[in-house]
Parts: sequence; C-alpha cells; structure tokens
Amino acid sequence: MSGSGESSPDNVQCDHCLQETNRKSAITVKIDGQSRFFCCQGCLGVYELVHSNSLDTFYKHRCDWQPGPPATNVKLHTSAFSDSVTITGNEQHIELLLAGIRCASCVWLIEKFLMKQEGVLSTRVNYATHKATITWASEKTSLDTILHAIRSIGYLPHPCHSRGATDLFAKEKQELLLRFGTAGFFSMQLMLFSAALYAGFFEGMEEHYKLAFQLISWALATPVLFYSGYPFLSSAFHSLRRLTLNMDVLVALGSLSAYCYSIAMIAYGGEIFFDTSAMIITFILLGRFLESGSRLKAGNAIAELAELQPHEALLLSGNGETTMVPIATVKTGDRIEIIPGDRIPLDGTVVEGEAEVNESMLTGESNPVLKKTGSKAFAGSFSMNGRLSISITGNAESTLLSRIIRTVEDAQARKAPIQGIADKTAGYFVPATIVLALTTFLYWKLHGGSTVTALMNSVSVLVIACPCSLGLATPLAILVGTTAAGKRGILVKGGDIFETVSKITTVVLDKTGTITTGKPSITDLHEYDLTPSFMQHVASLEAASEHPTGQAIAAAWLGERLKITQFRAIPGKGVSGVIEGTLWRAGSRAFMKQEKIELSPEHEASASALEAEGKTIVMVSCGKSLAGIIGMIDDLRADALPLIAGLRKKGLSLKILTGDNQGVANYIAAKCGITEVQAGLGPLEKAAVIRNLKSKGECVMMVGDGINDAPALTESDTGVTLGHASGIALESAGVAILNDDLNLINTLMESSSRCFSIIRQNLVWAFSYNLIALPLAMAGVLHPIVSALLMATSSLVVVSNSLRLRKT
Amino acid sequence: MYSTFFLIGIGFFISLAAWFLFIWAVKSEQFDDPEAPKYRMLDDDDEAAKPTKNKKP
Repeated sequence: MSGSGESSPDNVQCDHCLQETNRKSAITVKIDGQSRFFCCQGCLGVYELVHSNSLDTFYKHRCDWQPGPPATNVKLHTSAFSDSVTITGNEQHIELLLAGIRCASCVWLIEKFLMKQEGVLSTRVNYATHKATITWASEKTSLDTILHAIRSIGYLPHPCHSRGATDLFAKEKQELLLRFGTAGFFSMQLMLFSAALYAGFFEGMEEHYKLAFQLISWALATPVLFYSGYPFLSSAFHSLRRLTLNMDVLVALGSLSAYCYSIAMIAYGGEIFFDTSAMIITFILLGRFLESGSRLKAGNAIAELAELQPHEALLLSGNGETTMVPIATVKTGDRIEIIPGDRIPLDGTVVEGEAEVNESMLTGESNPVLKKTGSKAFAGSFSMNGRLSISITGNAESTLLSRIIRTVEDAQARKAPIQGIADKTAGYFVPATIVLALTTFLYWKLHGGSTVTALMNSVSVLVIACPCSLGLATPLAILVGTTAAGKRGILVKGGDIFETVSKITTVVLDKTGTITTGKPSITDLHEYDLTPSFMQHVASLEAASEHPTGQAIAAAWLGERLKITQFRAIPGKGVSGVIEGTLWRAGSRAFMKQEKIELSPEHEASASALEAEGKTIVMVSCGKSLAGIIGMIDDLRADALPLIAGLRKKGLSLKILTGDNQGVANYIAAKCGITEVQAGLGPLEKAAVIRNLKSKGECVMMVGDGINDAPALTESDTGVTLGHASGIALESAGVAILNDDLNLINTLMESSSRCFSIIRQNLVWAFSYNLIALPLAMAGVLHPIVSALLMATSSLVVVSNSLRLRKT
Repeated sequence: MYSTFFLIGIGFFISLAAWFLFIWAVKSEQFDDPEAPKYRMLDDDDEAAKPTKNKKP
C-alpha cells in the first residue's frame, strides 16, 4: 500500500488517498529517494506530516478499502442544502453526509481543510457515521463556498435529511450503553459484598456485619434490576399479558424471584443472593450490547443511497426555457433537461439528444450505456458526455432506485429469525420452569417442610433454570469467532449470520466484479495490417477515450505514445484521430459500416465468432481499410477458480446470476465449470431468484458487489460482499471480505462450522448442567447459594470453551 | 469496626463519582464515535503546522 502504485500509463495512484489521478496533474515529490505521487496539496501535506513524525506504518495499517469513483464530475446544487441550515444569531450550522470518506485521514483532512477556510468556526466529522457538523459565521463565508471547498478535496457532500429511524436507533443504542454500564458498575460493587457474605456463610461472620452487608447489597442490586433490567421487566410484563411467553419472561422471573427471596431472607436472617439477580441482567445486557453494534450504520448507508437521487430537476418549459424546480413538483409527462455530469433525477424516456449514461450503480454493468430518443433513463444514473431531454414517467417514489431502497429496507426489517427460534423455545421452557418451581414448592410444603425451606428450594429451581450460561453460549462463541475472522479480513456483521453460514446449501455468485475483474481485458487480437506497431497506434488513439474498453486497450500498451490530432469521440460508436497523417478509427462494427470501411467475409466471420463467445469487439481501421479486430471480455479473477473448487469440495451447489448478456455469462460459466447460469437479470429479478431458491428449502449464500446486488444480498440467508463493493452492498450484506481475496469465503465457511461446533458443545454443557442441577434443586439438596455458585461456574466453562476459537 | 464502614462509605462515594462520570460521558456523546479518536492523536495544532494544505489543490 505504501509503494507508488501505477495502475495505467496515464494515471498514477495518490500515495495518500489512493485515488487515481492523471500523471500530468499529479504532484510528484521525492521522499527518501522514492518518487511519491499525490493528487493534491492536502494529501501531500498529510503525508509529509505523518512521514516526518515517523508514523509511516499508518499507511501500512490503514484500511484496505479501495476508492470509489471520483465524485468531481457530479454537479453540486447548493439550493438542495439550504433547508437543512439552522441559524443562531450570526452563526449558521449544518449537518452533512459526506460520501468518499474511506479512512480516518480523510476525516483529518476535511476538518483541517475546512478550519483553514475563512469564517468557518467549527468542524467535526464523525468517522463512524460519515456525518459532518459545520458551524460558520454568516457574514464571512457562505454555504456555497464551504460545499465547494469540501468538493475540491474530493468528497461529495449530501444534505443530511435526518431519517427518523436512524436517529431513533442511535438513541436506543446510547440508552443500552447507559443501562449496561450502570449494571456492570453496580454488579461489580455488589460482588465485593457478596464475596464477603459467601465467605461468611462457610466460615461464619458477625451478625451486624452480615446485616449491614446484606442491606448494602440490597441497595446496590435495586438499580440493576429496576433501571438496567427495566426493558426485560416491561417486555416480560407485556408478553405475560398477551400470553405469548418469550425469553425475557425467564430473565425477569429468575432475577425477580432471587431479588424478592433475598429481601425476605434479610428479614428472616437467612442467606441472600442479590448478586445472582444482578448478574443475570448484566450478562444478558452484555449480549444485547454486543449485537447492536453494526446496525446503526445500515440506516446511514440507505440514506447515502437515497441521496443518489437528486432533489431538483431542470424543468423544460414549452418555449425552451429551463427552470430549477424541486422534483416533488415534476409531474408525469413533464420534460426535464439533463446536462453532462448531472445525475438523472427521475425515471423517464429520452425524447431528445444522445448521451452515454453511467448506470453502474443500478445494473452493475461497467460499460456506459448509450441513450437516444426512445431509451429509458433511470434516476440515479448520470450522463457522461451529452445533453438529454427526458419525458418523466413517474414520481420520486416509483423510480427503480427507490424500489431498490425499499426492498433493502424491508428485507432488513424482516430479518430476525434467530430471535424467533429463541422465543419459540421459551414458549415451552418458561411454563415448564414455572410448573417445576411450583411443584417443588407444593411438594416441600405438603410434606411437612416449613414455608422457608419450600420457598428456598423453589427459588433454587428458578435460579438454576435461568438461561444465563444458555444465553451466553451462543453470543460469546460467535463474538470470539467473528473477532478471529475479522483479524483475517472477514467482517461478519452479526451472530445469526455467522451461524447460518454453516448451514448454506447453495452459493449464488454474481458475475461482474465478483468472480470477474469487472474490467474488460484483451483476449483476442486479429491484425490485418502489416504495420509492426498496431497496438501502439490503437493504444495512442484510445488513450484519450473515457470509455472503459478504450481505457483497457490504452492500458495494454506501456510503451511510448504517438501524437494524435483531430481526436473525436462519437458516443456509443467509437473514436477517430489522425496519427502521422493517416486517419485511424476504432469502434464498433456499426461505426465501421457508417464510415464505409470495407469488411471482407473473413473479417465478418472472425468478428461474429468473437461475438458468439460473448466478447466485445473493437474494430480498428487505418485509412480506408480494416487494420485489426480486438476481442475483449471481462475475464475471471485469478482467485475465482480456487474458490469454486473449494466450494464444490464442500458439496455445495453453485449458480451464477448476472445482469450481463447470455454470451458473456456462458463464456465465464464454461470457464469455471458451473452449469447453472442466468443472464440478463435486473436487481429485483436477482432477488426473486434467491427467494425462489429459498422457497425450495435451500439455504442460500449470495456473493455480489454492486448496488444492483443489494436486494439479492439482503434477500439471501447470507450475503457476502467484497471490499471494493459499493457502500450499499457493503451494508446489505452480512459478511464483507475486506482483503478482496475470494478464497476468504472458503475460510469463512470453515471458521463458521468450527464456531458452530463450539456453540453445540456450549449448549450441550449448559443443558446438561440444567438437567442435572434441576432435579437436585427440586430434591432440596442444593442450597440457593450453591446453585448461584454453580451458575457462575457454568458460565465460566462456557466462556473458556468459547475462547478456544481465538486460535484459528 | 467503624473504620470498616468508614472505608466502605468512602469507596462507595468514589465509585458513585465514577458512575456519574460515566453517565456524563454517555450523555455528552463521548462514545458515539469510537473509531476516530485513535487517529485524532495524529492531529497537530495549527500553530505548529507544516506549510501544508493552505490552498485549493
């Protein structure tokens, strides 16, 4: 990561921010005898500062996320931000969502850079949520200046329309932290006195000490139970009222009974165990807190995706004038104008103009699509080079983009099956426990025992039955397992996901960008001209092209470039230019026909043969005759074959889904030996295929990387995405492979099944402990204080067994 | 014997102070962004800053 990356002859990678930048505009500095490239003064500054403090390891350790596409070709509309500004006196204040933050040094740069701007009073960027809070003096600077300053260093500001759900979730998490912190704090204090009391039970202690310690314990346990444990108590209460028993009932029952019994015992002069009731609450809160971690970010990613859709449109009136209006006022049938670099705000049909449109965020197709009269244009995509006027066919809620957002939101809301299973089990477990406790009480009461003995034994039963180690068995093993996986670059976003990985029966692979490189590479080369430097000519010609195929050809020639004059790019067709006095053209077959280049049957045959294999062809002409045909395809990644072999060895069935055409799909499928292929699928169709597989009883893992995969990723049992994927794909997938190494999917499956076997051991232990201890408690052999100690030991066993997962 | 209760009392009040500190920290959003602070130490004061990032790139 620290070396100077050269990705193509014309572009270099900035050593600080990893963005690709043109070699000519890059700043080249010699540092310790090595050439370093920087895209801007900001990056150079940060690099020098870090370097001069001997903190270069920072560059080795920072995240491996690859940069997204540079945002600078997208226009900023300041007016969209103005309604999120708040004014207090002379100061104005705004919250922004920043796209393009990749590592903490981005945060550093933005904060420092903005503070240098005149009139900016304070800047704070939250690295976790990508939210910036900026305050500035009204008379010294304007919102416009600030937004452009942010854009000038390569980040794209979005208005932050606070979405109720996200804010609510952040608040919930804060509350959970407060409850857990309080529980932990008081439980620790409580343990101090309980330990003394335990010692006193076995060795004897003075009465007044005992009473004082018991009263202190009572005081300490009360906030834990009624403040920290409030969610359990109220949930248990509600579920009892509706007669649907859940796990919370057991938690509430265990802790409340231990608490009430202890109060009674203070009066009676017996032994207390407030610590049991506090411990139950603390452990279970810990489990919840660990689980809640990653969910906050999901909401923000959806917000970021929603911002792909512009808030304003350039409305074209009857007399040809344009006005900027909010999209809510645009009606079906209205005509809007799209200028190059603008995002298309609403779905519609092109009525005038021609332009190449980048739709990669919707379709995953990396090649820009030519839009002309009659083509459909989709919100969120952006025009790369031409003007379009579009007749609108729907409103903001009906666009393809917002349908994708809704699918992802719905699927995320629906996903909590593991909780369902736990509650279903609780449905049997809870009444059984209550019946057992009651039976114990009645038995001892009726067979001549005192009320105290009867009560003591039934409390023992409740304490033993409390799902403490049972509750810890799964989350803890998963926590240790996921942390170990995280160290190897596999980010697992929740316990249930890790668990389902081990049950997968079908793996569905996305093609573009997942098992293929996502970029075209040259596979065939037919030269008809005798010029020795064919590639040099073509590459020189294509070097100025912005089209991915053109760039791939340009990258294939590393040598010297020839001088081009009269360069022209014809959208959707190709490029032409004069090299050493001869007119060269490179482009599609239609382009050659249009320019009256003669194609012999031999040429036609080899072109058709390439097309039949799903390859993209570029024909090159020199003067009036055909000089060569280049065949290109988005080829398999080097690590795809080992992955597929590994998955097959595990007996999983494999399937490829792609939005690309059948030819390319067949080529790739044949190359990796997968027979089940479905091509030409849209984002929602992919999700439908997954749903279909699931309804047949398959447990499906989806591997994908684009926004177009997001619905399928959320729909599948486990979604896996790669580190270079789009933000929304990262958030909709349960697992993200950060190191961009496909083979880690095999590793993931192995560590998941290992983790699962540990969980099984834990559960067997916890259950057998319950099975053995319950009858003993009922028989009155176990004093509650012993059962409390046993419970702690049982938890300890579960903890240490789970820790074995660290060694992978 | 009084010293025991005295010490317990002191310990209790000290830990109570720690608890209030924790509540204050949560309420003032000190835990909201656990990622950034560890990088923020690389931050430098403006006065001592190198001739960097002064102009638009």
